[in-house]
Amino acid sequence: MAMTETRPAPQAAAATAGAPADRAGLAGWLSTSDHKRIGRLYIATALLFLLVGGVIGELLAVERVSNGFDVLTAGSFAQAYTFHGEVALWLFLVPLLLGIATFIVPLQVGSPEIAFPRGSATAYWSYVVSGGLLIGAYLANGGPSGGQPAAVDLHLLALAGLTVATLLGLVSVLTTALTMRAGGMALGDVPAFTWSVVVGGSLTLLTAPVLLARLAILYVTHHFGGSYDLNDYGAIGWMFSVPQVYLVAVPAAGVALEIVPVVSGRKLRRRGASMVIIGLLGVVGLGAWAQVPSSFDDFLYVAIGLAAIVPPLALLGLLADSLRNGRPAPRAALLLAMGSVLLLLAGAAVGALSVIDGLDLRGTVWEAAQVHLVLTGAAWLGALAAIWWWAPKLYGVVLSEAAGALAFVTTFVGTLVLAAPDLVNGMANDVPLRATHFGSSGARALNAVSAIGGGLVALGAVVVVLSLLAAGLRKGQRAEADPWGGHTLEWSTTSPPPPSNFSAPVPPVTSPTPLLDEVDA
Amino acid sequence: MTAVLELPAPPLPERRNVMLVGTMLVIVAGVTLFGGLLAAYFSARNATVHAGGTWAPEAGTLPNAALAITYSALFLSSFTAQWAVSAIKANERRQAYVAVGVTLMLGAAFINGLSFCWGQLHLVAGADNYASYVYAISAVHLFVVVAAMLLFVVMGFRVFGGQFHARNAEFVASATAFWHFAVVAGIAVWWCLWFLAGGPTS
Repeated sequence: MAMTETRPAPQAAAATAGAPADRAGLAGWLSTSDHKRIGRLYIATALLFLLVGGVIGELLAVERVSNGFDVLTAGSFAQAYTFHGEVALWLFLVPLLLGIATFIVPLQVGSPEIAFPRGSATAYWSYVVSGGLLIGAYLANGGPSGGQPAAVDLHLLALAGLTVATLLGLVSVLTTALTMRAGGMALGDVPAFTWSVVVGGSLTLLTAPVLLARLAILYVTHHFGGSYDLNDYGAIGWMFSVPQVYLVAVPAAGVALEIVPVVSGRKLRRRGASMVIIGLLGVVGLGAWAQVPSSFDDFLYVAIGLAAIVPPLALLGLLADSLRNGRPAPRAALLLAMGSVLLLLAGAAVGALSVIDGLDLRGTVWEAAQVHLVLTGAAWLGALAAIWWWAPKLYGVVLSEAAGALAFVTTFVGTLVLAAPDLVNGMANDVPLRATHFGSSGARALNAVSAIGGGLVALGAVVVVLSLLAAGLRKGQRAEADPWGGHTLEWSTTSPPPPSNFSAPVPPVTSPTPLLDEVDA
Repeated sequence: MTAVLELPAPPLPERRNVMLVGTMLVIVAGVTLFGGLLAAYFSARNATVHAGGTWAPEAGTLPNAALAITYSALFLSSFTAQWAVSAIKANERRQAYVAVGVTLMLGAAFINGLSFCWGQLHLVAGADNYASYVYAISAVHLFVVVAAMLLFVVMGFRVFGGQFHARNAEFVASATAFWHFAVVAGIAVWWCLWFLAGGPTS
């Protein structure tokens, strides 16, 4: 009698022990601790909140076209202004990027699951609940200077909840990247996107608790009868302005560094330099110290403002070098990624001008233009590039190239049209931030152009949502495991990946581009 | 006839201290949390003093003796927490029970002591800048101590369940590291908020 002894593969064992298949249906989604499902939930929820933020943004834009108030009141205008910023950052962009990272990082490092999967699920649900509470607080007149004290308290608690949720989600992703890499994969060998998440996530871990500290003090002060108005809002407003917003754009740089070499069909030259550039971009985004107006005169603030232009410029040079030396295929993801880096460079250039004392641009709508270039432009386009690039893994389909190109054109052009009028108004007309009265008809006309830009960005968002809805319903070209000829581990598994991520053991990894090495061998 | 027998699955690649690294990341975030709180405190104090106002209550009005005892209890708990790790690493289960129990008791004593001190302050948050900062910072620290105690409660149950031993003490090391962080943060809070503001030497 012949006897064969077989040993099940480690990954198969992980499928039963570490990453059990979720229950089917709604209960499965509600109770999931699978990082892939959590990542998809993050993306879907962030896009829902985008709808809220977009509507508020357009209301503000329409209000700025006329002199005085047509739709909102003076009080609600101020609250809508802060609400728009909070939604854009804490309810939309940060969770969107965190969701993409939650999905992609374990796959890129060859791990069968995410570290602390229940922690990651808790982070997601805390985000949903806190986001709902934030909207409820504003609806109940609870923003800064709000008329309902209990709702104002709720607003501060909701922001604190969102901060804690983000930190918890980041700890899961960072621990995965630091401790659960495939055998042989050094930290310096992780893919560019994972590295950008490590940099951006670590630095957010260093700065977001400072926001939490400020929220705790504001909460105690207000809860026991002290004031909390727009002047006090400066204590937390730094999170939504320069230089802190550069941190949100760090993963976008990582996405571009993933896409360009693959689309060009060549390994990225000067990989070490690209890692350093991502690190520098993160360092200039450390903005927790710039909380009070006196810090805007500091040498450090000016130096960082001017230095911020260097990392995006160097990044653009590296990417252009890759494109020049390769044979780039015209893909939507490439357009989106390059658009993201270009707008990041534009945002940094605008920021560099804003710290020059003699120009007197601080406190004007010039700053709003810069934030729009960095967030609506660089970060949002970077997230779209990631979604188009990793859609085969996210949804098992290849998203429409035409829809991607349309999303690029509307978002890229829309962001420029949205920001350019504010640049002119800030430079030539000295229009202050949160201005509600515009004496000059020229300023009002520019505001109208800006509103059209916002509309274009919204149109791009509609295209994205429709594309993702179709992908969620699995309508589209079914994706093979590696439709792009990718270089990194996530392309070695099926699209979408199985519950345990890899159906076979991941062999030891000895370079940053393991799949390319396999082809070369 | 061919029979196929399945052997147990080979071990997965060894993970590199997932729990410990996760805890360290949380501690790093905690350090910047307290850094932010204390920076805001000193910034507000400077602003008040430069504007000609008074910051802390006059010397002698703070319950210094009660505060010293309260924070001493917390300081001592660091030693008993470390005793728990040593006991588990030496496979001394009975000592581990005692160490976890004493650590939790000292944590509870700290909470009790701090609530007593709050009652003795007679300061109203919101009306007084110093009071707002003191209550906010010490309350955040209280949350951290409670979180550390919850970790120790979980650890205590798992010690009772016999889950930890000399070669499987990562959770214990992580929980203890967080406890030490809570103690160090407590000492920083005591020094900045109480000792410098109106302690026996001021």
